[in-house]
Formats: sequence, C-alpha cells, structure tokens
Amino acid sequence: MAVETKAAQAAEDKELLISGSEAVAEALTLADIDVVTAYPIRPYDTVMQAIAKKISGGQLQAEYIVAEGEHSQFEIVKHASMVNARVFCGSSGVGWAYAMECLVVTPSLRVPMVALVGNRALDDPGAFGVEHNDALFVRDLGWMLCWIDTSQEALDTTLIAYRVAEDRRVFLPLAISADGAFLTHSQAITMVPPKEKVDRFLPRYDRGDLQLHPDNPITVAPQVNEDWVIEIRRQTNEAMKRATTVIEEAYTDFRRVFGRGPENPWFEEYMTEDADVILIGMGTISLPLKVAIREMRAKGKKVGLVRLRWFRPFPTDRLVAALSKAHAIGVIDRDYSFGSPFGSGVVANEVRAAMYNAATRPPLVSFTGGLGGREVTLEDVHKVTEMCFAAAASGKSDVQTHWLGVRE
Amino acid sequence: MAAFTAEIVYRGIFQKNLAARIVRGIVLSARKSGRWGIAFGRYGDSPQRNGIPAKDFAIVADTKEELEQNMARYEPKHVDVTICVDDTLAKGVESWAWYGLQPLNRLIVPGGTLLITSLQPYGDILRDIHRKDTPFTMALIRARASFSGLWVYKEDHTEVRILGALAKIVPAFLSLDAVCQAVSEMEWGSDLKVASARKAYDRLESREIEAGEGNPETPYSFELPRWWEMREGVSIPAIPLGKPKEGGKGYVPERNPYFKKFSTRTMRPVIDFDTCVKCNLCWISCPDSCFDVMPDGTFDANMESCCGCGVCEAVCPVEKCITMVNESVFDDNASQWDAWRQDKDAYRTWMIDKISNTQATVRSHGFRFRGQYEEELKSELDAGGQAITAGIPGENAQHKTV
Amino acid sequence: MAETTFPNATQVLEPFRGIKRVTMEEYFTSGHRTCQGCESALVMKLMVKAAGPRTIVLGSTGCMYVANTTYYTTPWVVPWMHTQLGSSGSAALGTAAGLKSLMRKGKMKAEPINVIAFCGDGGGADMGIGAISATLTHKEYNSLILLYDNESYANTDIQLSGMTPYGAHTTFSPPGKAKRIIHTRWKKNMAGMMAAGHPECRYVATVCASFAVDMMNKVRRALTIGGPTFIHSLDPCPKGWDYDPMLSHELGELAIETGVFPLYEVEDGQVKYYGKTKSIVEGRPRKPVREYLLKQGRFAHFTEEDLAYFQAKVDEMWQWEIPAVVPFRRLDRAKAALEVK
Repeated sequence: MAVETKAAQAAEDKELLISGSEAVAEALTLADIDVVTAYPIRPYDTVMQAIAKKISGGQLQAEYIVAEGEHSQFEIVKHASMVNARVFCGSSGVGWAYAMECLVVTPSLRVPMVALVGNRALDDPGAFGVEHNDALFVRDLGWMLCWIDTSQEALDTTLIAYRVAEDRRVFLPLAISADGAFLTHSQAITMVPPKEKVDRFLPRYDRGDLQLHPDNPITVAPQVNEDWVIEIRRQTNEAMKRATTVIEEAYTDFRRVFGRGPENPWFEEYMTEDADVILIGMGTISLPLKVAIREMRAKGKKVGLVRLRWFRPFPTDRLVAALSKAHAIGVIDRDYSFGSPFGSGVVANEVRAAMYNAATRPPLVSFTGGLGGREVTLEDVHKVTEMCFAAAASGKSDVQTHWLGVRE
Repeated sequence: MAAFTAEIVYRGIFQKNLAARIVRGIVLSARKSGRWGIAFGRYGDSPQRNGIPAKDFAIVADTKEELEQNMARYEPKHVDVTICVDDTLAKGVESWAWYGLQPLNRLIVPGGTLLITSLQPYGDILRDIHRKDTPFTMALIRARASFSGLWVYKEDHTEVRILGALAKIVPAFLSLDAVCQAVSEMEWGSDLKVASARKAYDRLESREIEAGEGNPETPYSFELPRWWEMREGVSIPAIPLGKPKEGGKGYVPERNPYFKKFSTRTMRPVIDFDTCVKCNLCWISCPDSCFDVMPDGTFDANMESCCGCGVCEAVCPVEKCITMVNESVFDDNASQWDAWRQDKDAYRTWMIDKISNTQATVRSHGFRFRGQYEEELKSELDAGGQAITAGIPGENAQHKTV
Repeated sequence: MAETTFPNATQVLEPFRGIKRVTMEEYFTSGHRTCQGCESALVMKLMVKAAGPRTIVLGSTGCMYVANTTYYTTPWVVPWMHTQLGSSGSAALGTAAGLKSLMRKGKMKAEPINVIAFCGDGGGADMGIGAISATLTHKEYNSLILLYDNESYANTDIQLSGMTPYGAHTTFSPPGKAKRIIHTRWKKNMAGMMAAGHPECRYVATVCASFAVDMMNKVRRALTIGGPTFIHSLDPCPKGWDYDPMLSHELGELAIETGVFPLYEVEDGQVKYYGKTKSIVEGRPRKPVREYLLKQGRFAHFTEEDLAYFQAKVDEMWQWEIPAVVPFRRLDRAKAALEVK
C-alpha cells in the first residue's frame, strides 16, 4: 500500500481502528456534507449506519433522509446538489441497479455527487458477496469510477473525490467502489486528519451559474430533439477529459497538505520495476496477489502487480507505459461480460483496447475469479502466474478466459 | 423522375388521422401499378399537439433501391408535391420540434406543385405564401379545412379528394384508376368515395406561380449554437419578468423570443374594446399568457403568441366582445388595441367587417357532441349540395350561408 | 416576502380576494408548445402566479415537461428543472432539504423559498406515488406536490393511466368490435388517498383551473401552511379527451357540476367543500354525467348501458361516509345497503 504516514502528520492525525465504511463516514464528516440519503442494502449500508451515528452524535450537521427506495435516494441528493448542497449517497448490487434511471441523468446535468458502491453480486440468486459488475453499470455514462482497497484509502479517496467532482472544470458524479465484506465490514488502523487540514485541501462546493435558485433563474434539462443531443454529449465528454488533469492536481495537493498519498493517482505498482509478469486487478484482490507475489519472488519468479484505482477516466497512457515493460500480462476480473471478446471480464477487455496501439504488446491472459465474494486463493494466483509465464515463453496471448476457483 | 415524394402539411391532432389516410393512400395506390413506397410522419412532430403544424410524408419509387435512397430520414430535403389541408398554414409553419418559421412551399422542387384545400381566391392565398426563387404550380381543391380529433373522424371525403387530385398532378406515379382501386379496398373506402376521387380529379384547379411571386417577408429564423457556445448542465436562461405597458400602468409579460406560437392558429380573437367590461376572465384563462394588460384595464391579445384556442371567447361574458375569426382574413400580427386607440371608428369598421364575415366565423374545430360531424356535413349540403348518398360532401361549401 | 432567519418558515401569501386582486406578473409565460386550449399549461401559469418570484419549480416528465420546455424555448420566469417521471416527490424533498441545510448552516441566505414539484397523472398516480407518499411524511420540509391530471399519458400519444376514467378511448384501450370497453378499471382517488394516508400532511386539496381564483388560493394555502402538501388538479385535455379546445373551461366546470370530480380541501384533517361541490354535498342536484361524457370524443363509443354504469359509480361516490373524499362507509350503512339488495 502506498500510504506512508510521516511522524509529523501522525502527531496531528487521529489513529482509529475503523472499517472502510466508517472511514468514509469520517471523511464525510470532515467534508461537512449537507444532505445524505440512506436506504438499506448490504454491504454499503454500513456507511449509512456510521453516518447516522455521526448525526445523532452531533459531529455532522446534515439533512439525513431515509428514502423509500434507491431511486428516490439518488433523486433526492441530485436535486439537493442542484441548489448547491454537498451530497452523499450510495448503494450496492441491485439497489444500484434500481437507481439506474437517476444515475444516468447526473452527468449531463453536471451534478458532482459522490457515491459509495459497496460492490455486491447482482441478483438472482440473492448474494451479499463482492462482484464489480454493479459499479461497472455506469462506466460508459460520464460517471468517474475508482476502486479502493484499504480503510485509509477509503478516507483519503473520499476527500479527493469531492475535490475532483466539484471542480468547475469537471462537475461530474463520482462513484467510489469498495469490495463488499473485505473492506466495508473489516476494520483497520486508519489515520484521520484534523478538519483544518481538510479545509485547506477541499474548497466549498460552488455551482455558480448552474445553481438552481431564485437569484439565478435558469431552466434546467428542457426537452431536446436531434438538434441538441450530440452537442450535450460532447460537453460531458470534454468534462471527462478535463478530469484527468484535475485528478493529477488533486493528488499532488493531497500529498502537500496531508503528507501521504500515492505519487501515481491512477494505479498502484507493486514490484513491477523488473517484473517479467504483471498481474492486474481492482480492489481488495490486490491483497492475496501481493502475498503470492512475495512468495514467488522468494522463489526467484519476477512477478509484479498493477492495482487499478481509477477506471474512469481510464489511465491509458500511463498504464500502457507500465505494462509494455512486461513479457506477459495477467488480468484478473472480479466481474464478467458474457459474450464479450474472448469471454473476458470488463477490465481485461479495456486493457486489451488500451494496448492496441502500444509499440510493444506483451501477451495477455485473462481470468475471472472471486465472483460472489469467493476468496481468490494463493493457489489460484500461482496457477495464474504459471499460465502467464507460459504465455511469456510462447509469446502468444491466450484466446480463452480462465475461471478461477470454480468447481470443475 | 423515378421516385416521387409528397409531404402533407397539416394541423397536429385535428388532422392527424386525415394525413395518415392520405400518405397510406398514396403508397397503396402506387402499389397498384407495381411501385414501392413508404409512408411516415416527422418523428420530431410526435407527440403532436392540437393545432401545431405537423408533417407526414409519402415516397414512391419504381424500385426498392430507389426507395432506400429516401429512407431513414426525419424529413426529405425536397418534395415534388406539398399537400396542405388547411389554408391558414399558408402563413408559414413552425412545428413544435423545430426552430423558426418555415415557408409552406420551402421543400417544393422547381416546377413542383403545392396542393391546397381552400375556399380562398389564389390572390388571397398568395398574400400569405412566401415567395420562392423558383416557379411552382398552385393547385386548389375547393373545400373547407377538415378538422376532427383523435378518436372521432369526420368523414367528409377530404382524403380521397386529395388522392384524386394527385392522380391529375403526378399521373406517372398515381393513375386515377389505381387510386380508385386502392380507395375501394381501404377499410374506410366506399363507392361514394371513389366517386369523390374522380370528381376531385375532374375539378382540380391550378395556376402557375412565378419565381418571386408571393409574400415578400423574410420568415424569422434561429441559428443553432455550437457545443461550446451552449451553457453546461443542459441549462438555459429563464425568461425575464415583464414590464408595465406605459406610464407604470398595465403589464406586458416578457415572451420567449425563439418560439412564437401563431403558426398554430387557425382562428384569432377579434376584440371589441368598447364593450369590454374588464372582467379579467380572458386574461386569467389564457393558457398561453398572450393577453397584455393595457393601461385602461382592457386586454390586448399578443398575436405572436396567441395559438387561437378560443377559450377567451368561451369565457367572455359579453356578447361579441371577443369573436374568433378565421386566420385567413388577416395579413399581419399587429396590435388590435393600438389600432383601436389610434382611430376608434376605423377600428370599429374593421372589427365589424371581420366578425360579421359568415365564412370566416364558422367554427369546425373538433368534437363537440356525438353526431356533430354528420350535422355539419348535412348543413353544408343543405347550402346547395346533394344528399350524401349521391353528392360529394363539402363540394358546395363555398356556397355555405350561416 | 417576509425576511426570516428560520429556514423552516414559509412565505406570507394572502389569498387573492377576487379576480381583480390577482397579481398581474406572469412567472410562466409564452414560449411553450402545448396544445390549443391546454388546461394544464393554464395550471402551470396560475400555480406560479400564486407562488410568486421566490419559487423553485421541479417538473417531472410528461406533457408539461416535453411540450413546455423545448431547448431554448422555456416559458419559465422562475427557476425550473426537469425531474424523472416518478420523481416529483423526491425532487421536492431533495430541493427543500438542500435549501434547508444550506440555510441552517449559514451557507445560503436564510429566506423562505417555495418548492413546488408537479407531476402528471402517470408520473404521480402511477409511477411516482411511492415517492410522493414518502415526501408527505417528511413534515420538516416545506414543499407542494401538484398533480395535474389530464387522465392519460397525454405526452406519449394518449395511453391509459391509473387515472383514466372507466371505458375511455385511448391508444391502449381502443374500442373494438369484440371488446367495446378495454379499460374497465375505476380511477384512483388520489387526493383522498393522500389525505387519509399521511396524518402529518397538513393540507391536501383538489382544484380545477376553470375556477382560477379558488385554485390559486389553494396553492397559496398549500405553500404557507408548512410541511409537505398535495394538490390534485383535474385538467381537461383537448387532445386526449377529443373536444374543441374552446371548451376546456366548460368541461372543467361540467366535471364539477356533474359530480365526477369534487372540489375540496383537507386542512389538518378538516374537510371543506367548495363551490358546486358544496351544494352537491348539501343535497342539491348534480347534472347527469352524460352531459359531461358525451361532449368528449373519448366516450363517443359509450352505450346507454355504459353511461348508466358510469352514473351509478359517480352516485356511489356521494354516498361515502365523507362524500367524494374517502370511500368508507359505517358498518350499519353497509348493512343497510346490503339489505336493500
């Protein structure tokens, strides 16, 4: 993990043993959010339970609304954001799907809402465990998407999320994905910064001439016909492009103010400098991968890890640069895209697309694993690595996607 | 030409079913001579609004390949024939889904035809129709505009008379026999309707219109902004508050400059300011906020925003204080109140001339009661026509006396 | 408009004492693309005329969205925003909560701002009823939800909704040879349901724009009483009901005079009837429903039998324990009714 806590900051920061969800709630309190809406669904709802405590405890002054469904949950914060309120919302699995209509409208409205997706398998069958398909619903719609893997990163990324989303150059919604159970429900030592620091990093949300208020009479989202839609899509596209710069700026500033945080915002590189094989994954899957990588390094096998933090905007150039060095790439998806090219998961297909124009294209092997929250075991990772070394030796990409940990 | 394109310009909802019958009739008639065709409406006009101009199209070609060239479009760029089933549309068309006023004859190819149902003389219609830099033919079917609603249709044979006239205009694509055969096979066809089609064929009047002949005004237009010129967040500025009329008295609301609703209007209110009791009812009841409050407490209907629904006449408690008069007898959108204030006697003469025009004050504007359309047809026949079993409804409408 | 530092305060909006006293300013003006004689457009105009300039309006999908606000051709003078079809309740709640939070924390000048969300019968009585119901329980947020009921999905080509009257001709219920009546459901009783089901909602009313001053005063009451409120407006629709647009006003009056639609308000649980409805409740005669139905093309296929059934259902409505408001009867009456049969 790229989080190094310098002693100087440690003196100011509080050290708490909290879950990823509680860490997000700490960040929301520091960000002084104005309106938050809740609706129960595991595993995301632990963050709302934590916020409810903050409200009843008086640490957070916000309108706390328990909605009658996810659809309303997201519409309520959307409209609160339009009048200039800093808002937070979230969901999981089919709850996120139930809110879909309200998710798709926010990018063109340029509503900078921040949402937590506690990643959860989609029904049917009902399952609580993690899969990434829920958050990935919005990958094409103008939502910014990132994945986190520790409580500390949950807290830091939530602060960064508001800074990025509420930047006038961006004004796009942002979803932070946290793997169900592994992150939402397990506690770790987390550094919580003081409010003064946060205030230095995070300016107040100002919608300016897009605010819905009698002092700024505007008509928002009138009906349009074919004469208008493509221009409006283009505007959203430009905002997403600008987000790349804004994210870089935010992380630089975060390190300046808080004295921690990664040099590279987009992805974490673990032992990749000299790696023959680079594995790629998102979220907490990085943890077993790191363990296995250390084991294999002990045996002289040069394996490294790239853990993607940001999926939208997608860090194409930097990722290509990082991967081109390797002799083989193994992508482990905690999601599926049935009937897609090579039957791969979403990340594998995006990495393939990103590498298409690369000068050197290492062979790529794609894997689907950990679905429904099943653990990715060290044995799985060893198997993955062997196949990647085989691909490196043959110089050929594998044309099929391998399912990990499935009972054959 | 191996392909033939026609557009029907009509009043939304009031003539929706009529237009649909016409475009279907064109395609099915052409099919009788082995041709292929498609019929469609301007997608942007749907959902239609009562009275707001809309368009349907029929394209007929010798081969499927030629037809394909004209498919998957919102609207053809050129048409051989523009069919207009309400002559008040001659003033121009502002569909609810586009911007600016479009001349009725805009899409007609050089030498093409504008076919209108009208009781007006050519000269009167030409005062409204915008001039074109290429010549075209104006063909007239002598009939009153046929209005009904979504659910109850007025069987006045307008659709078959249009088809019969088309057989005269483009015989190469629609032979009269083909039209008659198609009509007789329609679910709404009949021998009498076939007879109507043949009569319309025989009686079609037409006149060549020279380049530059017609209404010289330049219709207002609107330039679409580029993507970076548009406000973000799909937002646009609101309309500013209005102002007093003059001397701090009265009230004139600001109005949206980009959509003027008058091309939706088929009848306009003519106001007698002398008998107005200033009860406010027309003003408060107008769905289009088109009444300006005058300093003297009377109300002036803004003719750019009035869509002619007639609610003001319906709620006005004073006999003949507000009278709806057919749009065709007016040449501009000038303020009635200003004219009245300038010269009250002249205004009264003008007003009485308008509201006593029995032709222009006849109202057939949709469903009022069961059996109404049959009565209307009968009363038109009573004015010199023959029984519906033998005659053609509407053919003597110009003789109508009320 | 009263200044205040207490974010939950409402504006002071006295009732208009007669049509001559109605404010001249228009906050919903020309530029919309609705049908000739569109009663719902009139409802929008009167609604914001009553509410005044310090108002935010949220409009869920429907005619009053699509026809009202094509890009660049807005009729709105006050700030207006689209919300999703089923979201009028959430839009009102979210906007009110945002304003309250910012004012309470001193991030925005504290002043009472009217929040009005409107919905059609499809958006309100069908898809959005859950969110409206939830909002009516959030008593700390001031808002008005106005349901403009033109009795069909009028924007998508007139499909039947839960508010379409029995037997009406729509594109989803075309009368045919085999089935004359496809739509056999009776219309929902929205205002009564909202009043009966939300004990802390202080104000529920029914209105019709044919009675403009009454309608505007009810909007003003709804905006000043505090908390969430609900108004159901019956809007004659020349397009979907199929009638000469000139008759919009008259059909509104007939709906009341025939007793098909009642005019009342429920304030803090107290039912108060208005105008013709009041005299009907007091026992004066109603016009027969046929005088209303047969002026509309959507009922042109009705037989005498259909008219009689419709009349009987309307008659029944006036036998309720609280006439035309909630369809309850005391047990003894129900018994009596059974004995009669």
